[in-house]
Formats: sequence, structure tokens, C-alpha cells
Amino acid sequence: MSAGVQQSPRPFASSRKSGNRLKNNLFTGLVWTVGICTIIFIIGLLFLILEKGMPKLSIDFLLGLPDEIMEGGGIGPALFNSFYVLIISLVISIPLGMAAGIYLSEFAPDNKFIGFLRVCVEGLASVPSIIFGLFGIVLFVEAFDIGLTIIGGAVSLAFLNLPVLTRVTEEAIRAVPQEMKHASFALGGTHLQTIRRVLIPVALNGIITGICLVAGRAFGESAVIILTAGVTTSGVMWDFNLLSPGETLAVHLWYVQSEAIVPDAVEIAEKSAAVLVFIVLLINLLFRIPLWLNARKMR
Amino acid sequence: MKMKWFKSLAFTTLALAVMATAVPVASAASKLSGKIVINGSSALLPLTLQAAKEFKKLNPKVKISASAAGSITGPQSVRKGIADIGAVDWDASTDVPGFKKFDGQVAHKVAVIPFAAVVNKGVGVDNLTTKQLQDIFSGKVKNWKEVGGNDASIVVVNRAFGSGTRVNFQMKALDGSDFMSKGDNYKEVKSSGDMKTAVETTPNAIGYMDLVYVTSKMKALKINDVAPTEANVINGKYKVWGYGYYMTKGQPTGATKAFIEYIQSKTFQNGSLKKLKFIPISAMK
Amino acid sequence: MSAPASAAATELGTSLKTSSGKTFGRRARLAFYNRTFKAICVVCAVFVCIILFSILFLMGRTGILTFEYVSPMEFFFSTEWVPENEQYGAFIFIFGTFALTALTMLIAMPISILIAVFLAEVTPPWLRAVLRPVLDLLVGIPSVVYGFLGMTLLIPLLRDVTGTTMGDGLLAAAIVLTIMVLPTISRISDDAITAVPKKYRDASYALGGTRFQTTFKVVLPAARSGIMYAGILGMARAIGETMAVVMVIGNTPQLANSLLKPTSVLTSNIVMQIANVPFDSTWNYALYLMGFLLLVISLLMIVLIRFMQRKGVQR
Repeated sequence: MSAGVQQSPRPFASSRKSGNRLKNNLFTGLVWTVGICTIIFIIGLLFLILEKGMPKLSIDFLLGLPDEIMEGGGIGPALFNSFYVLIISLVISIPLGMAAGIYLSEFAPDNKFIGFLRVCVEGLASVPSIIFGLFGIVLFVEAFDIGLTIIGGAVSLAFLNLPVLTRVTEEAIRAVPQEMKHASFALGGTHLQTIRRVLIPVALNGIITGICLVAGRAFGESAVIILTAGVTTSGVMWDFNLLSPGETLAVHLWYVQSEAIVPDAVEIAEKSAAVLVFIVLLINLLFRIPLWLNARKMR
Repeated sequence: MKMKWFKSLAFTTLALAVMATAVPVASAASKLSGKIVINGSSALLPLTLQAAKEFKKLNPKVKISASAAGSITGPQSVRKGIADIGAVDWDASTDVPGFKKFDGQVAHKVAVIPFAAVVNKGVGVDNLTTKQLQDIFSGKVKNWKEVGGNDASIVVVNRAFGSGTRVNFQMKALDGSDFMSKGDNYKEVKSSGDMKTAVETTPNAIGYMDLVYVTSKMKALKINDVAPTEANVINGKYKVWGYGYYMTKGQPTGATKAFIEYIQSKTFQNGSLKKLKFIPISAMK
Repeated sequence: MSAPASAAATELGTSLKTSSGKTFGRRARLAFYNRTFKAICVVCAVFVCIILFSILFLMGRTGILTFEYVSPMEFFFSTEWVPENEQYGAFIFIFGTFALTALTMLIAMPISILIAVFLAEVTPPWLRAVLRPVLDLLVGIPSVVYGFLGMTLLIPLLRDVTGTTMGDGLLAAAIVLTIMVLPTISRISDDAITAVPKKYRDASYALGGTRFQTTFKVVLPAARSGIMYAGILGMARAIGETMAVVMVIGNTPQLANSLLKPTSVLTSNIVMQIANVPFDSTWNYALYLMGFLLLVISLLMIVLIRFMQRKGVQR
């Protein structure tokens, strides 16, 4: 990090001042233009997705059972499974990913093998999700022989998220200024205390961003779930059985869009997409509230 | 603090998992119980899901989970023992173009599926002969004016190799002749829904799909002057249809047997199956 | 970057532990916690590795069987992919993946960095507080939705603008992918830029630097590691994305000599065909090999980027 400062130019010569000012204005203008375009684009995209589905939403749709023949089927069990699978996968992947990230940033020796490992972790983030799905089949359906289940889907999803979580944690902890760490050691803190009281709290912002990204991706993931948890639900609401088939909302959306025969398939797809986007927004907010409170306390 | 939180969560999950595994063991009291795993053709999935829903109402102790990765996955999963029923759009106990037969598997007919050649609404052609279809899908005819339409390039939309719809269309509508595999105006799509979207939104496009999926936003073609309707399939004039099959390893037993019997029963065939716009197997012959 | 410092830190931690090893009470307890925690971390890291390597193993083991039937020369350099006739040339897909990734990064990287700068340096705080979660939200939109929008909105638009008959191809896929990786790259870059200590900026401003100079000569170089990492992550996602790409690329095994010609990439070909081929066939092995190859390609790209980055630092 210090490299950047050493490279920074010498005091800016006054002869270049007007050129600098022009460049600066151009740059500020460009950044604002891109920023505003992005805002407009995002709002447009969200509007496109939400305005088709949101107004037609009803409690019956959100909690109702799906229907193959008649119009008016709901998404209840799929919606419930979405949360259930997401929570289980996060419960598995967050501790594992964070611990592995802490190991890589704090304990791992700085040798070739660890370097290779890091590249591998990054590379695995690029493996198409369908491969994780195939891995899930080999593990749960073939080796454990439990069929297409919620737990199989959730664990496969956790595997998919592990590389991203590991690297985000590592990167976030590394970004914590060394002074803070040294100060903690100087005060007699052990390594564990330093990690818990200094490194993680300071790096929390980055870690939470990572978790949000991962949660959003997991919520919208379909390929893995189709292969490991199936396209059926158990057909009743609030089924906590981990061995039930676990179609999630994203899978339901895929199904409705690609194969369903119900006459209102398009409408169900639009509504499901709107619900998905809305919930991802909600998840983001929920994860962020503690951060905001924290920031307020600090101030 | 944080670690404790994680630990307690981990324990809760573990406890939940243990509870969950214990539940099915405890509930063996009903007359029919068991687990049915169905995999295979996505075109048969709506049918399977509806049947599973009704079957579960009658037999609450039976667990049915269905997924759909692709036709060939059905009999393969059955052979590997990871699925009890493999849904497939052709009789997988015999050889078909591109796929060898699966030994030791029994095919159960569950539905009659008509297929239709469809074009974008803007295409001014209503009827094609088998020969014209062969030429279009093999890439020999590239412009609609060669088959009596406007002067516009034909955009051919195809399903991926191994799709049950493709196998049936190739056998029944093209008399087994080959598809093109590349070209400037050629693309492949992954599912019936994608096919629908592609044909609806691409001007001058031609594709094919289960008759069930045909909407008012596209046009189903007559083939050799016969319109693709249910009546024409039943009276034998329209040839482009196939059976949907459930494959099992040997003769089915227990819950699997009961489920297949249910889907073949009059109640289901003349009720929900018809409502889903498939044709009952009893209507043929 | 922080290697010597962290090594020193570890030493500090160790010295603390050894000095307190014998005595009972708080110190011993702390040391015990320390060791346990470290052990847990090691176990987790090992576990993550096991998963990663078993996936690698699974893909490699199945993929390597391809070479029993197909020569590597044919697989890597032939452009004939006609598995029905036993021709397994994957060059088209490999080329397509490289071209698509490069094109995507070319569009996405500059835009993302500008967005990140906008978020971290320019925006008023209230707008920032709104925008960050909204950007995160874009990641959560299922790829099926992106693909569907691409198919129904983007492709007809491209058809109108360029006058081609189809519109499917690399350009459509790159645009969809850009939208998909944009939030990932810009949000992580944003965090990296925010993490640059304020004193760097103050120093630059104190020396009379403009915002442009401060951003480009101080802040961005200081945040380079994080931005690179964001780029890698975005690239990884672009290489591995399937569901959206498959809907807009056309899935035709022909070399993409134009941006608007239907073509195919590794992922789209895998996802189109893997469900439809017999398990123990050369075709299936070839698809696994392509999955393995995908991983190797992304690993190579990552190593290359890291290498270039290190070179940049030395200069």
C-alpha cells in the first residue's frame, strides 16, 4: 500500500496549473456522468423488473401453493425454501470461509504453496455453478444416497460460496492498517484478541459486502439447486425437514420461464422476479443496519 | 462472542439434521410409504409435478422429489440407481438416433405429446411439406421466398442435441434427416421456454416445440397440409407426435408402482392430463 | 506488501504465547484459546482446500479420459465440434471464452472503476448510503432474468441498430456480462478505495493536487491490489457465467469472426450439452475436460494478472 505514496508526483508545478484544472474538471464531469448514467440505468432496470410484478403481488401469491393447471398458483413453498436453503448455506459457509480467510491473512506462511492456494481459491470462484451442481450430485445423491434434498442443495451452495467468502475475508483483513494491529499487540493483546477485537471489527465493512454479494448470488442461483435439490417442493408450507426436496424461488422462476404450461406462466415469472429482487434488497438492508448503527456509535 | 454464536448455530443445525433424519423413520405407519425420485425430461415435468401433487394428497406418507436436467438423464439416473423413475420423450429401451438402448429398463407410456413446427407471426407461410422442412432445417433452403414466402433470410432455431423434442421432431417430421449445425442465421436454445421466446421475438424465425407451448404470439405450421391439432393426432392424419415414457429398472414395486399406475389411471389421464393439453394414451389406436 | 509486517506480528504473538505457557490462570487460558482458534482456522482452511481439490480432481479425472479417444492436438486446435461424428475440436469454445472475457473486461473495467471512484470519492454521503446497497442488489438478480431481458430487449435492439438478422453473439453476451459483473467489480473496488487512509489524500491535497491528480496518482495506485482483486473476481464470474450467456450467444459451434455472429463458449456449450449426453461417453468426458480447461484458463489469467501487478509494483 505504501508503494502508491512513494510514487506520487512531486509538488505540482504551477505552470501546469491551468491544464490540471481543465483535466480535473473534465474528470469530475466524466465521473458524475458515469455515476448518473449508472443510477439511471439501475433505476430503469429495477423499474423494469419491479413494475411488472410488484403491483400484482398478493399474500395469496406469496404464501400459496403452486398450481400446474389453473391460473393463480402461488410460490409459498419455493419462497420458504429459498430462505431456508440460503440460511443453512450461510451458516455453513460464513464460519468456514471466514476462518479460512483469517488463516490465509494471519497465520499462513508466505510461501509458494500458499500463493498457489490463493490462486486456486480465486480460480474456483470462476468455476461455473453447474460444476458445483455435478459435484453435489456425486457427493449427496451418489455417495450418501439421500436423493434430491434441501440439505444437499444448501451444502452445494455453501461450497459455491466458499471461495468468494474466503478471499473477501482475507482481502478485508489485509486492508486493516498495520498500525492498528501493532497497537493491539503493544497493549498486550494476544493474536486471537487482536483478530476478534481489532481486525474483524475494522474489516467488517468489507466482510459484510462479501456476505451480501454471496447471499444475493446464492438467492438467485438456479443451476446448483436444480441438480441437487430438485424442482419439486414437498407441497406444504413450513416444511423444516432437511430431507425434503428443495425447489427455491429462483428455480421456480427458471421452471416457469422454461417449461411450465400454466396459462399465467409469464405473470408468475414476472412476479417471482420482482419478489426475488425485492428480497435481495431486503437482505442487503438487514445486513447493513448493524453497520450503520456501528458507524453512528463510532461518531 | 462471535465464535460462540457460530458454535451454537452449528449445534442447532446439527440437532435439526438429526431430528429431520429421525422423522421419516418414525412415520412408517401408513399403508403406502416410501421415497420416489424422478429425473429426466423437462418437457414431462409439468405432468410429473401435477401427478405428484395429486398422488401425495392420496398417499401423504410418500415423498416424491422430481427434477429435470434433460431427457437422457432420466434412464441414466435410473441405471445408476439415483432415480426411481426416469422421464424420457422416447422409448429408451430401444435404440433411437444418437442414443443406445438401456438394457434391463422397462418403459411405461404416460402421455401422448404432439409436436408442431412454429414460425414467427410475420412469416407469410402456413404450410410446409416434409421435403421443405428437411431443406430448411438442414440449411439447404435459406430464404423464405424459396418456399413461397417473402424475400427474407430464414432464421433457424434448434434445440440442443439430445433434447427429447429434437429427437422426436427429427424422427417424425424430418423422417430422420440431419439438422444443420452451424450457419450465420442458426442458433440453439436450451428449453421449450427459450424456444418460445426466440420464435416470438425473432423476425423470420422457424422452430419447433410441443404443441402445448404454442401461443397466440406465434404460428403453428401445417405439415403436408395437415394442421397440428389434437383431433388430427387422434385420427391419425398428423404424424408428428410421440409418447412420453417413464423408465424403471425392471418392473416397478411399492410406491413407484403405485405412482405409475396413478398417472396411467383414467382419473388422471382424462382429468389433469387433458387439462395440461397432453393427449391420453388410451385415445390412440 | 504486508508480508514482513505480518511475519513480525506472528512472531510477536508466538513470543507472547511461549512466555505465558507455564503459568496458570488468564495467560494460560488465553494461550489455549489462541492455539485452539488457530487450529480451527487451519482446519477450516484445510477443509476449504479439500473441497476445492476434490472438485478439481473430479473434473480432471473424468476429463482426462477424453484423451484415450481424442488426440490433444485435435481437442485444442481443431475447429470441428461434431460429437455425433466423433469430432471433438474445442478450439472454437476456447477462443470464444477468451474473446468474450476480454471484451467484457474491456467494457466493464473502466466503467466499474469510474463508478467506484464516483461512489468513494465524489458522491455526497446520503447518495452513497443509498447507492451501495442498490449496486449489491444487482448481483442478486438471477442470471435467468438477465438472460431473459437480454433475449427480449437487448437482442432486438442490437438487431435494429446493426441491421443483422439475428443479433445473438459475442457483443450481446459481453453487454449482458458487463451488467452482471459491474456491481461486483465496482463495489469491491469501492471498498478498496475507501480503505485508502485519508491522510494520503490530505497529503496530496496539501501539496496542491487536484482531485483528478489525487485520484489517479495517489488513491488508485494505493488501492491497486484491491481493484486488481475486484477485477479478478469479476473476470472469474464472467468466465464462469452460464445461464445468462447461453440465452444470448446463439450456441452455434462456429468461430466468431464477427461480434454479431452466433457462436459458443466453453460454459454455454457445457450447460447446453451436459444434461443430454450419455454418462460414459467420450462426449461427456470432453465436456468435463472443457470444465477443467475453464478452470485452468481462469487460473492462468489470474496468475498472469498477478505477475503483471508485481512487475508494476517493482517499476
